[in-house]
Amino acid sequence: MQEILNQLNRVRGVGGSLLVSSDGLPMASALREGIDEAQLAASIGSVIEHSLSLATHMKLGAQKHLHVASDQGSLLLMSAGNGYLVVVVDQQANLTLMQLETKPFLERIAQRLSL
Amino acid sequence: MESELERLRKKVENFPSASAYNRLAELVRLGGDNPGAEQVCRRCIKEFPRNGQAYVILAEIELANGRKDEAIKNLLTAVERDNRSYAAHRMLADHYIEIARPPQALQHLRQILTFKINDPAVLKKIEQITGKPPTASVIRQVTGGSNAVVPGRPAEPTPLANKIIPAADGLAGLCAEAGVRGALIADEKGRVVSSKRLSPEQEDILAALAGEIAKAAEQSLTAVGQERLSMWTIVAEQGQVLSFKREQSFSVVILAEPGVRPAMLEIRARQALIDLGTG
Repeated sequence: MQEILNQLNRVRGVGGSLLVSSDGLPMASALREGIDEAQLAASIGSVIEHSLSLATHMKLGAQKHLHVASDQGSLLLMSAGNGYLVVVVDQQANLTLMQLETKPFLERIAQRLSL
Repeated sequence: MESELERLRKKVENFPSASAYNRLAELVRLGGDNPGAEQVCRRCIKEFPRNGQAYVILAEIELANGRKDEAIKNLLTAVERDNRSYAAHRMLADHYIEIARPPQALQHLRQILTFKINDPAVLKKIEQITGKPPTASVIRQVTGGSNAVVPGRPAEPTPLANKIIPAADGLAGLCAEAGVRGALIADEKGRVVSSKRLSPEQEDILAALAGEIAKAAEQSLTAVGQERLSMWTIVAEQGQVLSFKREQSFSVVILAEPGVRPAMLEIRARQALIDLGTG
């Protein structure tokens, strides 16, 4: 799993990646030095929890992805079977292109998690 | 496997939120541990003093223990913190009926109608007190003023109290976009400032959960060295929710069809904030 995240980090515009369980526990991490993975995973867990609740109440069906953005970049959260793949996205990155490029990695992670 | 109770206990220790505290208090109370639940409520109030729900749960515990005076005081605080607390207004109305003060009871019941229009239980209660069904003019009168004064409490100025704005006009352009099911503007405390094409239930849930998502999203961005959340989106199979924020105060939250592209909605959302005088 670590190797998949390391490969994913080589995609242009990716500034790091993290795999978390839906309740906010880190499963694998390839983040830049200085980033507290436990803190990031916990807050991501809370985002996931509330977004799932919102999707249920609003009858939106299964979630595909979540995107959280600031002026300096963003975080892309994608469901990967039993977990969520979190990608730190650089400010200049093309989000649509990145979603396409991360898809094979997402499928490999989902496959591994289902084993 | 970790129980929901344990999960919430860990959550309030490591990543506290008002909603987590409230759920934990409810669960502890359901487990029969009233002192434990009360302790959770008091911690929630200390950490999130603007959260109204903790006061309601605390009042329920106090009522169950026969501490009525304390319960009423907490219910009044609850409606002061959250003027759209259905439970607090209903309990206060019941209290005033019990002590034979129907005007005060009616004030609380009518306040509910400002955010839960035509609520059958409230209409029935008003009919029981007055002996006649509420007229259309009474309902219009109460629903016309979404910022009505809480009975027995001074009026709390709304975030836009000093601006003259048409209630939902700022969202008209946004809601005219293809694929937009409805939208609202909420302040940083999750209070609805303006809304269009959403039911009262959708408004409440959307504003409350959008506020929680924004808080957690900001924490996530801080963890990776970024500042100031500007937007978030949830894309699901049968729809999407988009939220745009400006100046750390007001957010536009949009409920839309799955295929709608966010770029145009962002322009419209930011325009809605400017139109509303918050930009």
